[in-house]
Amino acid sequence: MTGLLPGLVYVFLFPGFIFLVMYALFFESLDRKITARMQNRVGPPIVQPFADFIKMLGKEVIDVDGVDRKIFDAAPVVALAAVMTAFLYVPVLGVSPFGFQGDLVLVLYLLTIPTVVLFIMGWLSRNIFSSIGGVRVITQMFIYEVPFFLALLTPALMAGTWSISEIMLWQQQNMWFMILQPIGFIVALIGLQAKLERPPFDIPEAETEIVAGPWTELTGRRLALMHLVKDVSLVTGCALITALFLGGPVLPWAVTPAWLGIIAGFCIFVVKTLALLLVLSSIKVATGRIRIDQLNTIGWKYIASASLLQVAIVLIINYRWVST
Amino acid sequence: MSVLKEMFRNLLSKPFTILYPKEPVPIPDRFRGRVAIRDEKCIGCSKCSVVCSVQCISMVDSPKEIEFKDKILMRKKKPQLKLFRCIRCGLCERHCPTGAIYLKNELSDSGTDREVVVI
Amino acid sequence: MPEVIVPIGPHHPALKEPVNFRVIADGEKIVRLELDLSYNHRGIEKAAEQRDFIRVLPLLERVCGICSHSHSSAFAKGIEEIMQIEIPPRAQYIRTIIAELERMHSHLLWLGVAAHEIGFNTLFMWTWRDRELVQDTLEEMSGNRVHYGMNEVGGVRCDLTPHQVSTALERLPFLEERIYQYVDMVNDQQTLLLRFKGVGKLTREEVLKYGAVGPTARASGVDYDARRDDPYFVYTEVPWNVVTDTNGDVYGRTCVRIGELRESANIVRYCLENLPKGPVRVNAPKIAPEGEIFSRYEAPRGELAHFIRTNGTNKVERVDIRTPTLANWTSVAMCLVDQNLADIPVIVAAIDPCLSCTSRITLINTPGGKPGIVTFDELRKRGQTYCQEQGPP
Repeated sequence: MTGLLPGLVYVFLFPGFIFLVMYALFFESLDRKITARMQNRVGPPIVQPFADFIKMLGKEVIDVDGVDRKIFDAAPVVALAAVMTAFLYVPVLGVSPFGFQGDLVLVLYLLTIPTVVLFIMGWLSRNIFSSIGGVRVITQMFIYEVPFFLALLTPALMAGTWSISEIMLWQQQNMWFMILQPIGFIVALIGLQAKLERPPFDIPEAETEIVAGPWTELTGRRLALMHLVKDVSLVTGCALITALFLGGPVLPWAVTPAWLGIIAGFCIFVVKTLALLLVLSSIKVATGRIRIDQLNTIGWKYIASASLLQVAIVLIINYRWVST
Repeated sequence: MSVLKEMFRNLLSKPFTILYPKEPVPIPDRFRGRVAIRDEKCIGCSKCSVVCSVQCISMVDSPKEIEFKDKILMRKKKPQLKLFRCIRCGLCERHCPTGAIYLKNELSDSGTDREVVVI
Repeated sequence: MPEVIVPIGPHHPALKEPVNFRVIADGEKIVRLELDLSYNHRGIEKAAEQRDFIRVLPLLERVCGICSHSHSSAFAKGIEEIMQIEIPPRAQYIRTIIAELERMHSHLLWLGVAAHEIGFNTLFMWTWRDRELVQDTLEEMSGNRVHYGMNEVGGVRCDLTPHQVSTALERLPFLEERIYQYVDMVNDQQTLLLRFKGVGKLTREEVLKYGAVGPTARASGVDYDARRDDPYFVYTEVPWNVVTDTNGDVYGRTCVRIGELRESANIVRYCLENLPKGPVRVNAPKIAPEGEIFSRYEAPRGELAHFIRTNGTNKVERVDIRTPTLANWTSVAMCLVDQNLADIPVIVAAIDPCLSCTSRITLINTPGGKPGIVTFDELRKRGQTYCQEQGPP
């Protein structure tokens, strides 16, 4: 992509800011609808998250006494900026125009920022429920982050590149990593679920235990933005796993003309992310919340070992077949 | 597994919820709803006002000739009921000798004005 | 983290009822627990002393929204014993049917709430959906979903029509199928087992020491059920079993309740099929002779006791209600110590607490030390001055 204007369009209009916000809110409504139907309910109308978002933007912001309100105002914006930036490096229309060697690492770290922001907000809220929630956020992050990173780095190991777009192109020529690395794929899904704090890993915001955890003192536009951050993280996470494990938004064969290929690729992107959403929603519906100590045991004993096993397998395969 | 099976069966079937104001909700015949009084049957015996659990029934003057068991009675009073104080326990209906006071099987409205009466 | 005080209640998403725990926690571990129960004293016992036997039953029904039939049955049973009247068999059967349907809807509700407390909202939605069937049956039989108003001193108020009996019988197989599905779900849902097994453990000795009742006691292997050990209604004629379990934890209590769901369905079926003919009530005298009675009743949450004293008038001199929740509280406070903070909701929910029913005292603390009536505006003003004096939290 050359020129300033196409770049700006990519960042702000499509598939950047505007499209991303719309798609994220649509994702949330679809998630809620699927959940509702699985629970035999009707569920909210499709426009509900949009309406909620607009309504919450207009609501009064209540400041907690003795809290630095500048940090409180800035934190959701920082988190939103981080996840939105991360989305720019994930291939949506063919390869990402901003891609470079090592953007995978950048994206992973950008995706961590909302978690840290949530911890900071919980800790600063001067509220016992928020503080406990904040501590749980950071504890949970230390548990899932290592297996999640390892699982997402294994495709890079096998493809021999640190660029998400190049990993995607490698899959176009060979095979989806979902088939090559099934353990890594499952660990990545579990890690994503934990990162997004959805059941069974909604420990930091356990409604029946600590009200809303770090979210307790959030009001008005802060709450709206944090909800948006969560939805955008969901989309970015799904898009990342799509690119790394499901072959990304490209057809397995070359299509002429190129623009048709891009449109077809975009449709494939939508289908693949929605399929991932269905899987994530099913996990959400089918499980209850586990305890933080149980998550610690499960996370380090099984999930971390599984991801290490996957890394070992990839290294052996690389040594035996790929390098020779 | 049973959870997953039920989940996907629900996903493909219709929701259980009745969207109430749009769709009708079945009300059984015996439902204890809004209280009503059949004026032509009431003989003014005051039983309902005695048994009323929340004492929302008072007797007001209403002289009228009533036919009861093939006899003509001259009643002096008839019940007056404060609608939103009523808890619809149905004791008045149970103890009424003529079936003059009864609970319809339709929803009783709700309100905050304690003095609204049913005559 | 140092020791922190986590206030739970009287307003908290986990407990929908007014109770206050001050949980002193060390990180995620509970060190100590301070309880404050009385937030909703309604003066029901005093009000009951001022109503005659016809008018008191709707009041006692409103002690509890879920075990409404239990309270009116326990009272009616006691008064009938004082009056020495025998109620007709058909009335006994109808009372049993309503009581067991009530147990079914209460246990289904509990299963949903317990699942909700561990964040498993799906099971919550499903049990409450199936509970609607029981509620529909109750509504058709009695005319109301919650306060059935079936009991009166001397029998039941309305008879069951053959149509109602057949509809109820048609619904039972579906319900039983669902109950079997819940057994499966509880046994293979891993997250549910993780959160239920070994949580809130009570040994048999502890249960006996702290006087827990109902499914809480039966889950620890205490084989006691007022329906069998102090029989009333038709429980001696109906074939049924007392469900016990030896786990003693929340999982055990779940197993006991699901087992009781099955037993209840069987009892309802037997009663509906063998409903005797005849009248549904006898004329009860207006006045009860002088006497005292301790009426025990197995409510869905455990043994409910009404102590009734009459003095030869048409009103009771004293009625004292001991709800099962009160009997179970001590055991909860004991088994919470050393547990995880995250387990509070599920352990508390495991006894199926019904707090407003339990409140029997109230503590008055007015500035002048005198009780009195405060208007809403005064209350508002008082709240404002209180907040100004206290300053921001």
